[in-house]
Amino acid sequence: ACRASSDEKPAKFQPPPKPVIIDKLKQIEERRFLSPEFIPPRGRTDPLKFFIERKDMIQRRKVFNIPEFYVGHILAVTTADLYAKDKVNRFVGICIQRGGKGLGATFVLRNVIEDQGVEICYELYNPRIQAIEVLKLEKRLDDNLMYLRDALPEYSTFDVNMKPETRLDHEEIPINKLQVRMKPKPWSKRWERPKYNIKGIKFELPEKVMKEAQKWSQPWLEFDMLREYDTSKIEEKIWKEVNEELKK
Amino acid sequence: MMPIWTKSGKKHAVTLLKVQDCHVLKYISKEESGGKTAKLLVGGKNASPFSKSESAMEIFREAGVPRKQKVTMFNVTDDALVKPGTPLYAAHFRPGQFVDVTAKTIGKGFQGVMKRWGFKGQPASHGQTKTHRRPGALSTNKAAKVYRGKKMPGKMGNIYRTSFGLKVWRINTKHDIIYVNGSVPGHTNCLVKVKDTKLPTYKECNKNPPFPTFFADGDEKLPEDLYDEEMFQFTDPSVTYT
Repeated sequence: ACRASSDEKPAKFQPPPKPVIIDKLKQIEERRFLSPEFIPPRGRTDPLKFFIERKDMIQRRKVFNIPEFYVGHILAVTTADLYAKDKVNRFVGICIQRGGKGLGATFVLRNVIEDQGVEICYELYNPRIQAIEVLKLEKRLDDNLMYLRDALPEYSTFDVNMKPETRLDHEEIPINKLQVRMKPKPWSKRWERPKYNIKGIKFELPEKVMKEAQKWSQPWLEFDMLREYDTSKIEEKIWKEVNEELKK
Repeated sequence: MMPIWTKSGKKHAVTLLKVQDCHVLKYISKEESGGKTAKLLVGGKNASPFSKSESAMEIFREAGVPRKQKVTMFNVTDDALVKPGTPLYAAHFRPGQFVDVTAKTIGKGFQGVMKRWGFKGQPASHGQTKTHRRPGALSTNKAAKVYRGKKMPGKMGNIYRTSFGLKVWRINTKHDIIYVNGSVPGHTNCLVKVKDTKLPTYKECNKNPPFPTFFADGDEKLPEDLYDEEMFQFTDPSVTYT
């Protein structure tokens, strides 16, 4: 019934609810991820060399999308391979290490296929790579998961036909606090020693062995001023530069 | 040094060389120099004029050019002469040409015979008394002397050496950078002399260069980057095999 026709008192004016503006651009900018190969290493090289390398890297990123990923993510990489069926080779694995700077940046993917552990080192900017998909997003407690070689094989097996997981928010990649169980010793490296600083292993070794390993600790290293390399300002500059170029 | 990929997917390592303020300094005629061809003096990177004597600065003053840190000589035929004072750019070389690079190797100081000449030394155990990295015998019994030029310990490195037959993959005309295949003698940021190859296998590849040199104020307008035909450019899509 129309309010004008009835003789009731006009209802109290209800202002419409205020629209809540979610500034999505601001949300994305809150988390800045600069791929670690953009940060130049400390040395006596001319900064012009890094500038030119960065131009090439940005050019490649414009043509081919390299997603944001950390050590611990599960990736699927398709490369062009002359000797493979259909000339295309697809490999799924967990990223255990990201190394190299500039155009020669690499990442190592590990998987266990038919009870055989396989690790493949891919170059990020190799033109033979057709696609990189992130299947599962999760960070681990360490930067370097080389200890998975001495862990039980169940921690390195991943389904080759896994479906890609969609990104929910633009924030907070979950950290998996998994403590990995190891095969019996001997290991390829003495992972209990403090120089590797591994937090993701459940050490089932006797107390005596753990105490003996602490003998090799170097507590003065964190106070060594010559080893300090503060990259925050360099990162900001490079982040601005890379973003501007990518938007063009 | 940087990686470079070809269109077939192979990877090669490449050294970047920057052409920094190169000028032709002086022309020396064939009779004056006493060689088979005329010579051109070319100077490299700019340096301060205050630490050299007046007589040494004469050459730079005549050419009208600031003092250069490195001065080298190039043997040049009469038809390829360039007027002293002209600047030289990286576009003098083109992708696909082959080049020799000369520089002073990294100085290692006084080194023993195993590092300097690659001698095998002696075993670490089984009774060796104080002899693990020594040269051993110097000559035979009959010679009764040590020959001249015997390999012995001494100062290693810091001498001029050349790498021959290096391919030029790419030229950046904006920053004057030459991308040269493989490694080059010398430490990072050292001064280096780049010449056309003397090897006969690459004679045909060095035909049709910019003659006598590339002039920046000329009519030719080059793009910012010149690539070799086989090189993969990052503007192309990924490499596929069919």
